[in-house]
Amino acid sequence: MQVSRKYGVLIGMAIVVIAGIAAVPAPSNEYKNLKVLPKDISTKDLSRIMIDEFEDGLGVSCGFCHAEEKDSHKLDYASDEKPEKEIARLMMKMTLDVNEKYFQVPHPLIGDSVLSIKCMTCHKGQPRPGETE
Amino acid sequence: MLLFNNKKEKMKNEKYISVNENDDGIDRAGFLKCMAWAGTGLFCMMSGGVMKSFGMSQLIDKNIGALKKGLLLPKADFTFAQISDSHIGFNKPANPDVLGTLQAAIGKINAMPTAPSFILHTGDLSHLAQADEFDTLDQAMKSAKTGKIFYVPGEHDVLNDNGKQYLQRYGKDTKGDGWYSFDYKGVHFIGLVNVVNTAEGGLGVLGNEQLEWLEKDVKGLSSSTPIIVFAHIPLWEVYPQWGWGTRDSAQALSYLKRFGSVSVLNGHIHQTLQKVEGNITFHTATSTAFPQPQPGTAPAAGPMKVPAEQLRSLLGVTSVHYVEHNHTLAITDTPLIAAKETKMENQ
Repeated sequence: MQVSRKYGVLIGMAIVVIAGIAAVPAPSNEYKNLKVLPKDISTKDLSRIMIDEFEDGLGVSCGFCHAEEKDSHKLDYASDEKPEKEIARLMMKMTLDVNEKYFQVPHPLIGDSVLSIKCMTCHKGQPRPGETE
Repeated sequence: MLLFNNKKEKMKNEKYISVNENDDGIDRAGFLKCMAWAGTGLFCMMSGGVMKSFGMSQLIDKNIGALKKGLLLPKADFTFAQISDSHIGFNKPANPDVLGTLQAAIGKINAMPTAPSFILHTGDLSHLAQADEFDTLDQAMKSAKTGKIFYVPGEHDVLNDNGKQYLQRYGKDTKGDGWYSFDYKGVHFIGLVNVVNTAEGGLGVLGNEQLEWLEKDVKGLSSSTPIIVFAHIPLWEVYPQWGWGTRDSAQALSYLKRFGSVSVLNGHIHQTLQKVEGNITFHTATSTAFPQPQPGTAPAAGPMKVPAEQLRSLLGVTSVHYVEHNHTLAITDTPLIAAKETKMENQ
C-alpha cells in the first residue's frame, strides 16, 4: 500500500512537471540563425521583410543570399555559406544605426514603416546601389 | 507573328465570329500559329491564311451580362480559365485591394456564356505564404462557377518552409513538390513546380526528379494528344536578367517535341506575353493583383503602381476555348475593367 502511494506521488509530480513544460509558450518560429532580426519574429513579419525590403528593394530573389542545401537545389535558410547573407546583416545594422543616429528614430526595427531610411532608399531595386543594367 | 495592321483589317476579321463557326477549317497547324496579342484581350485563330479574332469585351453585352445578340461562339468540347498571381496579403499602393480584384476576375469567369469546366491557378496564391492568406483565397475561389480548380505554387507560396504548407493544402494526390498530370476529354494537362528549387538570379528550376517523372508521364501518350503544361515561372526565357525563365526548361520541352500540339501557360511576370516556337505555344497570364513592368523597362521587376483608373485594365483572366475535333485552342486575355463594367451595368 505504501509502495503504491509512493508511485502515486511520483506520477503526480511527473504530471505537474509535464504540465509546466507544456505551459511554456512555444517559440513562434523555428528559425535557428537570426542574428540581427528579432529571434521571436513571426513568420509573417519575417516574410514581409524578405519580400518588401530585400526582394523588391534590391531586385533579388531568395537565392541571392541563401545557400542551397548540400544535396538539392532547395534553400537552406539557416546556412551562412553565402557571403551575401553576412553583408545583408551588416547592411541591416547600418540601416538601423543611420535611422537612430541621424533621423532620431527610437528603437528602429527593419521593416518598420516609420524608418526614414530603408533598403530601397539607396538600392532602388538594384543589388548594389548605383548599378545599372 | 500575327498582327493586325490596321483597324479595317481587324474589323474584317472580327466578322467571322458570327458566321459558320463550326465549319471553320481550323486544324492543328492553324492552332499552332494562333497568337493572342499581348494585352489587348483578343481571341484569335489562324489557318491557311484565314484569321478569326475577337475580344471578350466585344462579345459580352454590358446591359445583359451575356453574349451579344447575333454572335455565336465557336463550338467547343470544353473551356477552361486560367488565373494567376493573386498575391492575397499584398497591401502596397500598387493595389491595396487584391481580394477585390481577385473577386472581379472570378466575376468575369462567372459572366462567361458557358461555365469553364475548370480553372487553372498558376501560382502566387498568397503574398507571404500565411495560413490566413490561403484561407482568404480559398474562400474567394469558392464563388467561382466551375467544376474544379487546379493549382501550382508560385515562389511566394513556398516562402520559409520550402512549400510544406502549400503541399498540405493543395498537394493531395501530387508527386514530389506538388507536380501532377490529369486527362480531360482527350487533352493531357501537366502541372509543374519550378519555384521550390531555385537557381542563381531567381530563375526557376524543375529539378531532376520532376524531369524524370515528366519523361515517364508523357512516354505512353500518342503524339496526337494535345498537351497543356502549366507552371508558375515561364518555361521560356522571357527575361533571364530578372529571373523570368526556368533554367532546365529545355530538358522538359525536349520531352514534348514529338507532340503536335503543346501549350504552355505560365504566370509570374504579371503581364501577357506569347511566343510560338515550333509546335509549342507559350503564354504568360496577367495577375489578378498588380502589374509589373515590361521586361527591361525598369531597374528591376516588382509591383508597379499605375494610375488607379488604369489598374484593372492591366489585370485579368485568361480563358481557353478548346475544340477537340478540329484541334483548335485559342487563348483570350480579358482585362478586369470589362468585368467591372459588366457588373456595374447589371446592378
